[in-house]
Amino acid sequence: MRVVVGLAVLALVACGGGGDHDALTIYAAASLTEVFRQLEPGARFNFAGSDELAAQLREGAKADLYAAASPKYPAELYADGLIERPVVFATNRLVLIVPTENAAGIDSVDDLHRNGVKLVLGAEGVPIGDYTRTVLENLGRSDVLEQVVSDEDDVKGVVGKVALGEADAGFVYATDVKPVADDVRAIELPAEAQAVVRYPIAVLAEADHRDEADRFLERLVGQEGRHALRDAGFGVP
Amino acid sequence: MRRAFDVALVGAAAIALAFLLFPLLALFLRVSPGVLVAQLKSEVALDALWVSLKTGLIAHAFVLTLGTPAAYLLGTREFRGRALVVAALEVPLVLPPAVAGIALLAAFGRRGLLGGSFEALGISIPFTQVAVVMAVAFVASPFYIRQGIAAFAAVDRTLLDASRTLGVTPARTFWRVALPLAAGGLGAGSALAWARGTGEFGATIMFAGSFQGETQTLPLAIYAQLDQERNVAIAIGALLVLVSVAVLVAVKALPSWTTFVSPSPTRSAPSGSS
Repeated sequence: MRVVVGLAVLALVACGGGGDHDALTIYAAASLTEVFRQLEPGARFNFAGSDELAAQLREGAKADLYAAASPKYPAELYADGLIERPVVFATNRLVLIVPTENAAGIDSVDDLHRNGVKLVLGAEGVPIGDYTRTVLENLGRSDVLEQVVSDEDDVKGVVGKVALGEADAGFVYATDVKPVADDVRAIELPAEAQAVVRYPIAVLAEADHRDEADRFLERLVGQEGRHALRDAGFGVP
Repeated sequence: MRRAFDVALVGAAAIALAFLLFPLLALFLRVSPGVLVAQLKSEVALDALWVSLKTGLIAHAFVLTLGTPAAYLLGTREFRGRALVVAALEVPLVLPPAVAGIALLAAFGRRGLLGGSFEALGISIPFTQVAVVMAVAFVASPFYIRQGIAAFAAVDRTLLDASRTLGVTPARTFWRVALPLAAGGLGAGSALAWARGTGEFGATIMFAGSFQGETQTLPLAIYAQLDQERNVAIAIGALLVLVSVAVLVAVKALPSWTTFVSPSPTRSAPSGSS
């Protein structure tokens, strides 16, 4: 019995006090991975779909900051008192990506409806998925939804399947292209059809590292952050 | 001293039991049964159930028709390299599912080793139900084959030899003697393989993607609904717990069923030979 209790205590101490537990903890949309890592290498990060992160925070995940790829989930968390007032710190746009060899010969959204084209999108309810559907609607090309072969749970799923060459095309954020520039080609979309992609960030109501969180926020909206964001292809408000 | 030891044993067992069962119970307690049943009627859940059933049954048919002869060969014949073959067949058993997914892509993906040949024939496997079937069969079949080898190996060799000395063909011996005698073990392996196949997640999401009504199986639907309609995710989870319990009960019940039918193997054996 004592052994079990001892083991349990040991496990809790080992996992709980693993050195970096005292670090600033940031939950951020998958598309922010590169910029945030660069800005704050010492922080603990959880990069995933904004909706998934919101679900985790609702379940009581401990974090200090939440940055999302859509105002929808921060607004809901704010309304429920889980986070403080969100601030928009970046904007993004969508691009169509195809594998470098582009075997399906896709040069614009108008080529997507062709038979046999394998299109991969973010799922409905996931920000990239909702933005994609908005853009297609703006372009009057919602018919290409019939070519969808997979609804991915976050934008990295879309990038991965196109970069692997398994899918013929997918819609991702412009900022997702850089890390896989060798494997995919980005096709710009008409500006008037673009969705308004805003990235809000907020401090958690129960943040343990409030001061560090505030300092990170200041840097993010200041010169350093704006520079890094622009470098990565984001827009800044 | 002895008493203290017993208390420690019971204590450890109680903690282990509570740790393993509490989360499963929580699934049922978090949402009322009425809501659970209602959520199972949602389109996402019904579509996923259909995809899981269809791909699961097809995969299982392949597992049984290819796995049974393979298990018979490996369970009843001695040959060089047999141990190696048995070990190789068990590798997917201990393989992380994500590895299975990337491996299937490396082999059958568009840019995979065989992908080009399939493309040339106009066949593209990823993102189709064929991909789901392959992912399920890949991870599930070792469970069946492994159990099958043990079941055929346990069949009394003198019975097989007797059948042959009486002039019965090897194929007929397999159908009328070996198969009925190994039925219990094969049934248990079949149930385990079904359970593992139903739970397949990692290989499927990588190799087949996730599309409602096409490749989104029950576990994929849980993941997709977790941040959308939480109760649907919980309801599907609860359903899978019930299925798992049913499979387990079936496995536990099978050995007694075997001893019941084995005295008259011919009656339950399929007629004719291959």
